[in-house]
Amino acid sequence: MAEKKERYQNRIELLQGTLDLLILQTLQWGPQHGYGISVAIRNRSGELLQVDTGSLYPALHRLEKQKWIKAEWRISENKQRAKFYQLTAAGKKQLTKERSKWSQLSDAIAGVLQPEK
Amino acid sequence: MSFWRWKRRETELDKEVRCHLEMAARERAERGEKKEEAERAARREFGNVELVKEVTREVWGWRWLRDFVQDVRYGLRMLRKSPGFAAVAVLTLALGIGANTAIFSLIDVVLLRPLPVRDSEHVVLLKWRAHNGPSFQSYSSFGYCHIDQDGTEREGCSFSYPFFEQLRSQAWIFSNVTAFAGSPGLHLVRGGNRIKVSSPLVSGEFFQTLDVRVVLGRTLQPSDDVPSAAPVTLLSYGYWQNEFGGDRSIVGKTLYLDHIPVTIVGVAEPNFSDLIPGQTSDMWLPLTLYSRVKPDWSGRGLDDNAMGWLTIVGRLKPGVSLAQAQTAVSLFFRNEMLHGAKPLSKEADDPRISLLPVQKGIVGNRWLYEKPFYILMIAVSMVLLIACSNVGGLMLARTASRQKEIAVRLALGAGRARVMRQLLTESILLAVTGGAIGVFLAYWSLAALRSSDWLGPIHDFAVKPDARILGFTVLVAVLAGIIPGLAPAFRGTRVDLTPTLKEGAPTLPNISQHGRRLNLGSALVVAQIMLSMLVLAGAGLLVRTLVNLKSIDPGFDTRNLLLIGIDLKENEYSEQQAQNLYRELQSRFSSLPGVTNVSYSSSVLLSGSLWSGDTSLERQKERVTRNMLAVGPGFFETMRIPIVAGRGFAAADFESTHKTTIVNRAFVRRYLENRSPLGLHLGGSGSKEDPGEEIIGVAGDAKYDDLKKGIEPTTYIPFKRGGGNFELRTAATPESLIPAVRSIISQLDSHLPSPDLKTQTEQINRSLFRERLVAHLSSFFGLLALALACVGLYGLLAYEVTRRTREIGIRTALGAQQGDVLRIVVGQGLALAALGAALGIAVAAGVTRYIQSFLYGVRPTDPGTFAGVGIVLAMVALAACYLPARRAMKVDPMVALRYE
Repeated sequence: MAEKKERYQNRIELLQGTLDLLILQTLQWGPQHGYGISVAIRNRSGELLQVDTGSLYPALHRLEKQKWIKAEWRISENKQRAKFYQLTAAGKKQLTKERSKWSQLSDAIAGVLQPEK
Repeated sequence: MSFWRWKRRETELDKEVRCHLEMAARERAERGEKKEEAERAARREFGNVELVKEVTREVWGWRWLRDFVQDVRYGLRMLRKSPGFAAVAVLTLALGIGANTAIFSLIDVVLLRPLPVRDSEHVVLLKWRAHNGPSFQSYSSFGYCHIDQDGTEREGCSFSYPFFEQLRSQAWIFSNVTAFAGSPGLHLVRGGNRIKVSSPLVSGEFFQTLDVRVVLGRTLQPSDDVPSAAPVTLLSYGYWQNEFGGDRSIVGKTLYLDHIPVTIVGVAEPNFSDLIPGQTSDMWLPLTLYSRVKPDWSGRGLDDNAMGWLTIVGRLKPGVSLAQAQTAVSLFFRNEMLHGAKPLSKEADDPRISLLPVQKGIVGNRWLYEKPFYILMIAVSMVLLIACSNVGGLMLARTASRQKEIAVRLALGAGRARVMRQLLTESILLAVTGGAIGVFLAYWSLAALRSSDWLGPIHDFAVKPDARILGFTVLVAVLAGIIPGLAPAFRGTRVDLTPTLKEGAPTLPNISQHGRRLNLGSALVVAQIMLSMLVLAGAGLLVRTLVNLKSIDPGFDTRNLLLIGIDLKENEYSEQQAQNLYRELQSRFSSLPGVTNVSYSSSVLLSGSLWSGDTSLERQKERVTRNMLAVGPGFFETMRIPIVAGRGFAAADFESTHKTTIVNRAFVRRYLENRSPLGLHLGGSGSKEDPGEEIIGVAGDAKYDDLKKGIEPTTYIPFKRGGGNFELRTAATPESLIPAVRSIISQLDSHLPSPDLKTQTEQINRSLFRERLVAHLSSFFGLLALALACVGLYGLLAYEVTRRTREIGIRTALGAQQGDVLRIVVGQGLALAALGAALGIAVAAGVTRYIQSFLYGVRPTDPGTFAGVGIVLAMVALAACYLPARRAMKVDPMVALRYE
């Protein structure tokens, strides 16, 4: 089991923190189910970001455990019962935090990558 | 997280994933893909469904619980697949765990269970010690504490009433102090019946000191314990339930104890039945009632300081240390002994007091069991070790044959720790099942033990599975599961995957590895045989001891002898009436068909009861110490003790005032250097009026109280007063006379209590109960150990034969005869057995001396015993080797070789 876990963690690592940010951001636009979230991220990233389900579902369940999102079974637009996730108040705060962290990070990285004048 | 919440989450996750797949498939279908195509693509895109679920579940935590449930399910399935292995392993563990639970239960109930006293660590028992014992004129103890008679010092736990009163007035030492004595032997008179009651006499502070409470009414108070108070009693809970049906209106009612009306003031709490563990009292009476009930153990007054009869227990005052209290109490005792109303000790005797924690001090007859139980505990722990290594060996062989399965699991990505845990779970499952059956076995065998007479005086104990016993069993079972599971788990998971998985490869990956495994298996078998030898050797010595003890010649004929104890004390017989009754009984018993001789004596021989004292011997300065036994007419003929010089007692000796006595040969040897004692006088003042007892004969040596003791100087005197026990020498079996004896007694006096009837052989068995207990149980455990070890040997060889089928086939094909095959298998088995036996004997020779104090007439390293158990082992081992060897001989070379 040990090696397997590592494998997944490696993939998550690529998105460490960012996946949570992306999920929270997606839910900002309204409640959504797991599949909907993955489709939304894919579409908005211009098909560049493909969210692995092995990362998505653990992330959803982790965010739920941290009470940043909450889940509810609802009927989807296709008349199908699905588990919808939505942001909580704490989740909104967290989103703001993560966003500012992300912009700091990308500024910092941009600064490092900028060719010297 | 509860199981049900977890279950719900599990189904939700399932739905969530399915939902995802359906949505993805539908979208693809809407985009124009074919339905099956779309579903397959959605699945491919999603990835490994189970894996996704697994990593998601990990987020929830509690993974170990789910794994555990999974392991248990899987383990059960695996065990169901090999019921033979499971049955042998479970049964082996059940026997090991059951034996341990049974013996531990006995230890717990007899030795460890706390006294029914609250905060007993502050409650202490007084024990006196002195170089020479104080010269009490009357001294009784009631078995509350154990007196060490072997030491150079004298000690005891009985004190006088005046001493207790002094202590009671010293309120700074004890917050409460109480004194108590045994039961005076009263009878409850109810509806014309007289039933003996056990009613210890206790001082008014008894229940406060021990902090015993009541379920009804109140306890006895100090104000009840003054001579002017009306007699009252507190009932024990059990007696209240059994005798009065738990009548709640009992308080205030009056009972008649012989002729004394006694008012019931309350009922004690259920868990307090007596201070002595394993005993029960019916009721408690105030100490000052002593002068009215006149117990048969003394005719002295309460204020007599030369009468030692009270056990004293005190609760230390908070802030007073044990040492302080001990010094203070010692000072009082010393003063009392040296300068009391009657000085009882000399300065040089250094009389003093030890204070013992009551848990250690009040032992009753528990001390008798300490050694036997610890010996048995050691025996059963070895049985358990054997059981564990046996199961370990089985699992090792099984793991080897499951190599492929394990390799598959490892190859599919299971962690080594996970597989090990799986294997361990299986062994713990075995142990838990074995443990459950073991507990059942333990209680079943304890019930059987209780209904036998093996346990001696404490057969009346209640073994209830309390938390401690269950805790012990669970601990043993878990250890018994983990220990045998460990080696196979480590071994089993250390696999080189590729060759194991290869089709058609031998079941065992490579030679070097199977060599190692084989050595571990063999080592386990050798260890089992060694341990079983150890238990068997110890058991052999204990059995030899019992045989030796039983074959001791006590100096009288113990066969066909019926003993009859009749309790006359309470029936108000006068001394003369009692003697007349004895004569009458003697003549009626004699006329019974099948009875050859009848006599009676002051106590039964070999029953532990002893009457001894010192006296003067004519023409001798030194006083002589001798045992005394009062005997009725015809005693020596009945017991078949020869009169070797002089004469036996004649009718006149029982009537006249001329005192006569018969001494034994040991007396003559010790005090008269083999000169003739006839005509000499014992005791007396030497004057004509008081010449003492004339020695008229010499009897052969016979044991008195204890079979194991040497012969001591003994004098026999004519039975003229006191209570007696009858001895009937019979031609037929003694038991067949019991109904006739009973009817004769009830014809003579229908109010006599039912007599105590037993044969002399039974009496000897009773006196040897400890030796019998350890001999019987240890040989049972020894045989169990041997059987388990040989099952282990059999298992190893059977596995070996299976593994070497091809080799045996080749050998047979190349011309090996059946005899050669037999030699290979049996030779290997016997070599292991011999190694184990040799090690076992070597270890046994080193450790059996620890049971030396239990041995009689046999050395701890008795070669005969060791050789004997060696032969037993060799025979059983041979049988264990033969079965697999026969299978090996039947190996058909064609089949064996084609098998590859």
